Amino acid sequence: MKKVWERIAGSALLPFLSFLLAFFISGFFIAFSDANVLKTVGHPGKFITTALSTVGNAYLALFQGSIFDPNLTAGHGFMRGFYPLSETIVTATPLILTGLAVALAFQSGLFNIGAQGQFIFGAIGASYVGFHFTFSPVLHVALALIAGVVCAALYGGLVGLLKARTGAHEVIVTIMLNYIAGFFILWILKTTTFLRPRRIDPIAPDVKPSAQLPHLAGADFRLHAGILIALVAAYFVWWILNRTTIGFQFRAVGANASAARTAGISVSRVTISTMALCGALAGLGGAVHVLGSQYALTADIGGSFGFDAITVALLGRAKPFGTVLAALLFGALRTGGRTMQSNTTTPLDIVLVIQALIVLFIASPTLVRFIFKVKNLKTNAAMTAKGWNG
Amino acid sequence: MKKTLKYLSVVAAVALVTGVAVAPASQAAKIKACVVLDTGGVDDHSFNAGAWAGAQSTSAIADVSYLPSSSAADFAPNIKKFIDQKCNVIIGVGFSISGEIVKAGKANPTIKFAVVDDGAMDCNADYSVCNAVANVKGLTFSTDQAAFQAGYLAAGYSKTGTVATYGGAPYPTVTIFMDGFAKGVAYYNKAKKKNVKVLGWDPAKKTGTFVGDFSNTSKASQLSQGFEQQGADVIMPVAGGLGASTAKQSQQSGKSVTVWVDTDGFYSAPQYGSVLLTTVAKGLGAAVKSVITDVKKGTFTGAPYVGTLANGGVSISPLHDFASKVPSRLQLEVKMIGRQIASGTLKI
Repeated sequence: MKKVWERIAGSALLPFLSFLLAFFISGFFIAFSDANVLKTVGHPGKFITTALSTVGNAYLALFQGSIFDPNLTAGHGFMRGFYPLSETIVTATPLILTGLAVALAFQSGLFNIGAQGQFIFGAIGASYVGFHFTFSPVLHVALALIAGVVCAALYGGLVGLLKARTGAHEVIVTIMLNYIAGFFILWILKTTTFLRPRRIDPIAPDVKPSAQLPHLAGADFRLHAGILIALVAAYFVWWILNRTTIGFQFRAVGANASAARTAGISVSRVTISTMALCGALAGLGGAVHVLGSQYALTADIGGSFGFDAITVALLGRAKPFGTVLAALLFGALRTGGRTMQSNTTTPLDIVLVIQALIVLFIASPTLVRFIFKVKNLKTNAAMTAKGWNG
Repeated sequence: MKKTLKYLSVVAAVALVTGVAVAPASQAAKIKACVVLDTGGVDDHSFNAGAWAGAQSTSAIADVSYLPSSSAADFAPNIKKFIDQKCNVIIGVGFSISGEIVKAGKANPTIKFAVVDDGAMDCNADYSVCNAVANVKGLTFSTDQAAFQAGYLAAGYSKTGTVATYGGAPYPTVTIFMDGFAKGVAYYNKAKKKNVKVLGWDPAKKTGTFVGDFSNTSKASQLSQGFEQQGADVIMPVAGGLGASTAKQSQQSGKSVTVWVDTDGFYSAPQYGSVLLTTVAKGLGAAVKSVITDVKKGTFTGAPYVGTLANGGVSISPLHDFASKVPSRLQLEVKMIGRQIASGTLKI
């Protein structure tokens, strides 16, 4: 039992220390970008207290905006204080799924930059089935989800096919397919099939109520069943990787493609099925985003879910449950950043600095090891770098 | 390691303690005015910047704050955040936020809302029936009136007989500029029996040239260059911050001049002042300011506001550097047209 804990602690140490360092350094950014702090530069004592209170207020707001805000409980009961946490989960849900799409590819030695495009195709598929057809509630949700997953799986599988058949590098192909998806959604939202009646700006009709994912905590919260789907998906990815033959083949190809080929594993079949599965996961993210919180397809539906997914997967060390935690962290930062900006004078953009610093430190374990004088810091740099070599 | 950790924990502890202790003091006299921006950011030198500047100008009577939106998914949570913060008035910038603002307005009748660039009506699913909401004010602008003047000016100024316009995306708030511009050129042609061509917008078919978004600077430069190659020597980009790409192209090639939009570019983008013929200005800031002052005075109503040449909500900016380069007769005609539109004698 002790061994398990040691293992968890060992693999969580680097992300945790990176996290700590990122917050520490961002503190300086917050302090030195604040007008009130800069005014006191001449008086060291006053400067330090102002700087500390500014940074403290910012991080307090970040916490209140992402986990629990006591100000919200007045008149609504204690549970209402957790509204920010529910928002964190809503934001994290699509990120978990796109993060898994990148993490799974890492495990198989592939670098999936295309989660963005796959996400968009998932959203398009789910939206179309959601607003165009009428079914009974449970069936409608299921069919809309399936439509999104299938669209995106085909889109992702295409990358695998191109790589397996022609040797086209998946990084290039997925980047290009992101552009195609981005412009495809712009075009499709101009067609009469998708464009909302009496509107000329790119927006599709809302999905019908029967296709919307049910809310989990009443109408006051946006928390929807998507998080359950995302958690099941994370478990599914773990199960595939660790308990099935195909998952073993994924990992074998990821560890050493040539050795896997010698051992009789069809690398091209693994490449195609990995990419299709990654596409399916990212597409599920898009579908959940549309059916759970947005309801209407817009041209910017993809946001930056596909790109943040790469960071999330890196932070989660390409492990399913690590990815879930990393996505929750990113969801918390994004949601909390909103409160930080509106409660204090600290701009929302600081959140991007924090995110970037976390990645920077994760990617340079030697630096973290040096700063904290830690030995035996486990890294998986080899795994995450492999995608580039193809 | 121990030492570093110790430092870190001390800093963190002090930060938390002082952070909790120094809570912001509330000012009872001021109202709380909150602005949810559209995508594009507060520094777009154009649309968001104009609305935010208007809000900031009320800082004597209101505590103003804003939240940026990185995509449409941010609209609802941003509005919700401001509702939880007990803002007295919440202003949404951009018509794409309108639906969410109206929804929030109906759910929170005690809070005042406004939307810049949309009528903010409560419509049913297929937009066949729309009703006004008492606590939600729509702020719209008849920018085609001022753009009409700019089109006339451009046609008169053009030496090649070709002018051009393009938009960021085919939104109604964008095409209304292009429409007015093209009609102004047509009016010039009719009055002077000339044949100045307009590239980039066909007012009859309602089709034209668009970047696709409001952030792709390389595409905007490409379009501007293309227009120059087709002989256009006046270009009006209606694409927020992308206008800078066209102005830069004008500056580098010397083959064209740029008509700016939204806020007088001579002041908001002074580095391009030398190539800005004029600006089709939209009084976003003034409209936002009037909403906040009305809420403070208690005179706010949900009645829609429409900015026109007559009420000063839209206007054509002074020619600045071009005052000496544009024939005074043409300048006079442009002014006359403005007066005629304002008084209603000239229908666009």
